[in-house]
Amino acid sequence: MNLALIGINHRTALLDVREKLWFSDAELPHALAQLKDQFFTECFIVSTCNRTELYGIVDVQKIPGNASANLKGACDVLVGLKSASQSVMPQHLYQFYGCKAAAHLFKVASGIDSMVIGDIQILNQIKSHYNLASAERTIGVFLNRLVQTALRVGKRARTETTICEGAVSVGYAAVELANKIFSNLSEKRALLVGAGETGELAAKNLVGRGIASLSIANRTRAKAEELVQDLGGNVVEFDQLEPSLLDIDVLITSVSSPQYILTPDQLRRVMKARSNAPLLVIDIGVPRNVHPDVNKLENVFLHDVDSLSRIVDQNLTRRKSEIAAVNKIILEELIGMRHWLESLQVSPTISDLREFFESVRSDEVKKHINRFSEQDRELVDLVTKRIVNKLLHLPTTNLKNGNGESAEESHKKIHIIRGLFGLHKNEPVQNKPEQDRNL
Amino acid sequence: MKIFILYFNYLLPVLYWITVWSYAKAFFRNSAFAKKVKTPLLVFTVGSHTLYLIARTIYFGHPPITNIYEILSVLAFTTALSYLTIEYITKVKSTGYFVLVISFFFQLLSTVLIQDLANANPILRSNLLGFHVASALLGYSAFALSAVYGFLYIMLYHHIKSNRFGVIYDNLPDLEKLERMATVSVVIGFVLLTVAIIVGVVWLPRAFEHYSYFDPKLVGTIVIWLTYGIGLLAKRSIGWQGRKLMVLSIVGFVVTMLSLTVVNLFLSGFHNFY
Repeated sequence: MNLALIGINHRTALLDVREKLWFSDAELPHALAQLKDQFFTECFIVSTCNRTELYGIVDVQKIPGNASANLKGACDVLVGLKSASQSVMPQHLYQFYGCKAAAHLFKVASGIDSMVIGDIQILNQIKSHYNLASAERTIGVFLNRLVQTALRVGKRARTETTICEGAVSVGYAAVELANKIFSNLSEKRALLVGAGETGELAAKNLVGRGIASLSIANRTRAKAEELVQDLGGNVVEFDQLEPSLLDIDVLITSVSSPQYILTPDQLRRVMKARSNAPLLVIDIGVPRNVHPDVNKLENVFLHDVDSLSRIVDQNLTRRKSEIAAVNKIILEELIGMRHWLESLQVSPTISDLREFFESVRSDEVKKHINRFSEQDRELVDLVTKRIVNKLLHLPTTNLKNGNGESAEESHKKIHIIRGLFGLHKNEPVQNKPEQDRNL
Repeated sequence: MKIFILYFNYLLPVLYWITVWSYAKAFFRNSAFAKKVKTPLLVFTVGSHTLYLIARTIYFGHPPITNIYEILSVLAFTTALSYLTIEYITKVKSTGYFVLVISFFFQLLSTVLIQDLANANPILRSNLLGFHVASALLGYSAFALSAVYGFLYIMLYHHIKSNRFGVIYDNLPDLEKLERMATVSVVIGFVLLTVAIIVGVVWLPRAFEHYSYFDPKLVGTIVIWLTYGIGLLAKRSIGWQGRKLMVLSIVGFVVTMLSLTVVNLFLSGFHNFY
């Protein structure tokens, strides 16, 4: 298979270069049509904020000779489509072929090539861009198979490994912490003090996990009201924090203030009044908003940006350690893909076809042989064999000769023949989706 | 039957060991295989243990409570059974290692030291007594469980407070859940102990001519009962929760262990049958 990949991603180029090569959904149909027209038999583009990648099956009639040397034209067209030749330099682009290109797509789909390891938002993007290319009819047998396999790799990575587990942003780490202290966030209440961005993000995540109620306090009340519009909840007075602390379980502070807004003495009073019910305090302010000695109070859990970052780092390290397991899945799927490709060769298909006919013939003969007299039996065997041979003679010769068609066309033809006669035994992967569903 | 009992006596610690090992492997090494097999293994082990105890009862003609090593085996059984129940109810499957390791040691001691007593103390062949012992032992297992959960709570509490996000942080259920599990265990244990005390006091005058209500065993048991009772009362009335309550669940268990060992072996007047 002449699979080629041309791409740019967060490793090879900075955002200001990457964004020049970003294709919107509206731009993709035209780009796909033109690229297919000039270079490929099939092609599709994945374009996100971190990468733009073009996958194509090189049409040897359009690009004769050594495909790898001649793909420069395709690069130029890709860059030209966005008129980005000023900023996108050859060193920003990478090219892979065959197996390596397929492996790359699998890596992308499984999240190990993402900026944040295990971030598999990308899976949905691949799916939607694939659908788009499909609608534009630039997807054929091969890319279909490739993308379906990639989507399966992504799914398997998510379910069979822990590559996507654990919070990898400070906001989520706060939620993770809350989940380690409280069983059911939907019975808990949170208070956000201040309107810093990270604090807002943490509060947003808590709301996303279904926290029962969210109150917001801010020095400028208008800003708090704006946030309430965005996140839901209610506004409380910034100057009267203590009473608001009585019936909450999670407190997030992100105020820019030179003094502490919460001291141990204050909180000691509060804790007594709330009969010592556990309180998680997440202090995202810099400088810190809450006096560190607060952590010494019983049932108060104080965490600042450093401790949240520690959770994030640890989760990232853990995700990294899963890369080997993901690579194993990728290898398995590559081998499956390889088996499928091999099965599309002419001679194994002919022998499979013959084997299939022979098995039908011999089964039927065996079933009915007793109806014939002893001396006729040998003859029955011979006659049926001849029928099968004659039936298969013309298809076999036609398959062998190929009538001057390209390798791609003959692969497609074989794909259809295998489908028609159910000759899938060389394709271990073919049955895999069924198994996945049962998992 | 004799062969069966002998065989199972040696098989049980092995089964417990395998079970504990798979729970540990699941907790500390995050092994997918161990996670899959651990609960079925536990069910199998508890099932085998049930058969063993029934076989003993039939063969020797009395329930296996006539000497301390039989009792140890029953304690191992009740602890494992209580854990299995809690795991089934709460669906929290990660804490098994910390509980089942107790069962393993109890059963190991029992296996090595057990003697087969065909003619037990006639006082111990009473239905009331069977009821008394069963509720007391189940109650003690519940206390053991609550102490384990209290201990896990305190461990996780300190890990969270001091920003240690390791294996303990990753694999234990949340603090609230641990506290609830410990509290439920204490309540169950407390009820069972109350039953055991009432039955014991009813049975006492029937079994002995000379007895005293100030016997060290009785006093010790009342101290246990009061410790847990005060804890439960403090939770209900003045809203004790979190770490303080969990410390109490551990203290209660230490007192229980003292009563079971020191008082029983060295001080007891009448409660000394073995």
